[in-house]
Amino acid sequence: MNFWKRSSLLILGASLASAVPPLPFNEKDTPESLDDFRQIQAALQSNLSLARAATVCLQVGESSGTAVIVSEDGLILTAAHVIGGVGVEMKVLMEDGRELDGISLGLNSETDAAMVRLVGPGPYPYVDFDKGDTTKLGDWVFALGHSGGFDKERGINVRVGRLVRESESTVQSDCILIGGDSGGPLFNMRGELIAIHSRVGGSKETSMHVPLREFQKQWEELEQSKFVGEGPFATKSEPGSGFLGLLVEPGGEGELRVVEVWEGSIATEAGIKVGDLILEVAGEPASEESLTGQLDQLGAGDPLKLKWTSGDETKEETLKLGERP
Amino acid sequence: MKVATILLLGSLTLGASTLPSAKRKNGSLIQDALAPVQVSLQESSAVFYDNEKRENFIYGTVMSADGLLLTKASEIAEVDDFLVRVGKKKYLTSKFLARDDVWDVALLKIEANSLHPVDLGSDSEVELGTWVVSNGASERYFRRPRPGITSAKKREIKGGSPAVLGIQFKSGDGQIEVMGVVDDSGADQAGLEKGDLLLEVDDRTIGDEASLLEYLRVKAPEDKIVLKVKRGDDELRLEVELMARHKLFEGPQDRNEGMSGDISGRRTSFPMILQHDTMLSADSVGGPLFTLDGKFLGMNIAAANRVESFAIPVEELRKVYEKLKASVGLE
Repeated sequence: MNFWKRSSLLILGASLASAVPPLPFNEKDTPESLDDFRQIQAALQSNLSLARAATVCLQVGESSGTAVIVSEDGLILTAAHVIGGVGVEMKVLMEDGRELDGISLGLNSETDAAMVRLVGPGPYPYVDFDKGDTTKLGDWVFALGHSGGFDKERGINVRVGRLVRESESTVQSDCILIGGDSGGPLFNMRGELIAIHSRVGGSKETSMHVPLREFQKQWEELEQSKFVGEGPFATKSEPGSGFLGLLVEPGGEGELRVVEVWEGSIATEAGIKVGDLILEVAGEPASEESLTGQLDQLGAGDPLKLKWTSGDETKEETLKLGERP
Repeated sequence: MKVATILLLGSLTLGASTLPSAKRKNGSLIQDALAPVQVSLQESSAVFYDNEKRENFIYGTVMSADGLLLTKASEIAEVDDFLVRVGKKKYLTSKFLARDDVWDVALLKIEANSLHPVDLGSDSEVELGTWVVSNGASERYFRRPRPGITSAKKREIKGGSPAVLGIQFKSGDGQIEVMGVVDDSGADQAGLEKGDLLLEVDDRTIGDEASLLEYLRVKAPEDKIVLKVKRGDDELRLEVELMARHKLFEGPQDRNEGMSGDISGRRTSFPMILQHDTMLSADSVGGPLFTLDGKFLGMNIAAANRVESFAIPVEELRKVYEKLKASVGLE
């Protein structure tokens, strides 16, 4: 049953693809004249300014990677090993140096796919992606990235190449990459995003990218900040290792009363005091079950959203859990 | 049933999964398609061949019909016994005329006539993403074209003076204090010590960091300078031979350089460069950079790392060339 369902999807995919006329230079095995090269150049250049406007540098702690905006309201695709975890706050730099705030959503630690969201509402420059998965082996492509980190004088580095190897979960190009390019976009010559830079192989000309179809498979999980898989590209924190630093007792219905705050803990940093009332834990009404349930699942460094009242004030904040002492 | 589906998909993708290397960007079929530009490379490149190691070690750019060539100074200085090829012809001897250490460019002369020089009246104003062609590899009679695109903004590459003393220092209160001396540097050999105060360089008072660096910036490796130094109650005069920065601090300076293979030794500190993504290495710079139309854009000067190759733009190269010629009394 499953087999037939998958096959019909494939056929549908193929018929969608044929609706877009192929670029003439991609129909040839190799360029036959300088004119073919000129057509490749013209296609690349006509898509370059939007592609660059949507390509950003992510600064996560001390390290730096690249990413690309795919919606007007600031959804970003990048690589899992660039963001390291779910709910991580970061600086997002546009090519002109404008500095924005972002927070990581979900990631797939097996394929290296990941999402980030810009905190501000936008609108932002963004690129479309190759939704019909029409890009094929041998197609000419271009790669963008903040190679070696953000450099305003230099700007984004552009590289050209071809798709030289295809498998379901990885595409390979001969656009050369280096540290800092990770998470950056690979485009086809229509300016559509087709993959995200992930890693390099033994030779300079071996660059591996996560194809967009891998993102599409888990789009909702990634948007909902899920940590998917147990692969090499990100390590999930140990469940139960997260530490909030609060001792609570039941208050009224849907409330927990703070009876002790651990000195130097994340709770102290957030300004929670003895006598405060916790109202919500991760969006749920506060109860001992909801709080311990969350803390059992989460590890050090994971985010936990709390809502509480302190005196006359009601506060809501996402706290990054500390390490259990 | 699910397993079977996955296997089937796997075999479908495996069936047509790899592009033969001849069709890849640096492949032989792509080179063939660049034949019209290859002519420019063939005529206006010089190939420097190390007679001892029996290999090409750097390229040059043909500047005049009668055999003036420019190449990368720091590389040509490393080899004593070499010959030059231009086109199909071999030149056993060449004469070193002058060098410019700010740009790392050397002027040489071979006894030739009717060579095809590059067009110095050209300009390097091209849009980002424009195809460029450089020397990839060379056979005895054939220059192989290697493609790339212009890949970032034209700019200065910082990196300190090309020639260095070999000290760490701090400046303040109108004096410069030596905080450390790099082993085997010129400063080390001259006997400079930690704690010394630098008073004068070549009989000129130096009060701060900026004036010292400005003085060093125009110096060349192997130049000698005399330092007047205060050590305790004594005043000493020490003669220090400057060293090339890239030789004193050799090898990859960070992880990205470490993963970049055979990059140029001298790869920083250029007043202006045009960047492209062509895969070059230490021994494939020095030659000309052309567009598809054979327009001369500049001379490749450094393989900086695996993604960044630098060329001196033609507008700047013209000035360096005129200056070098004037320095040896050529028109």
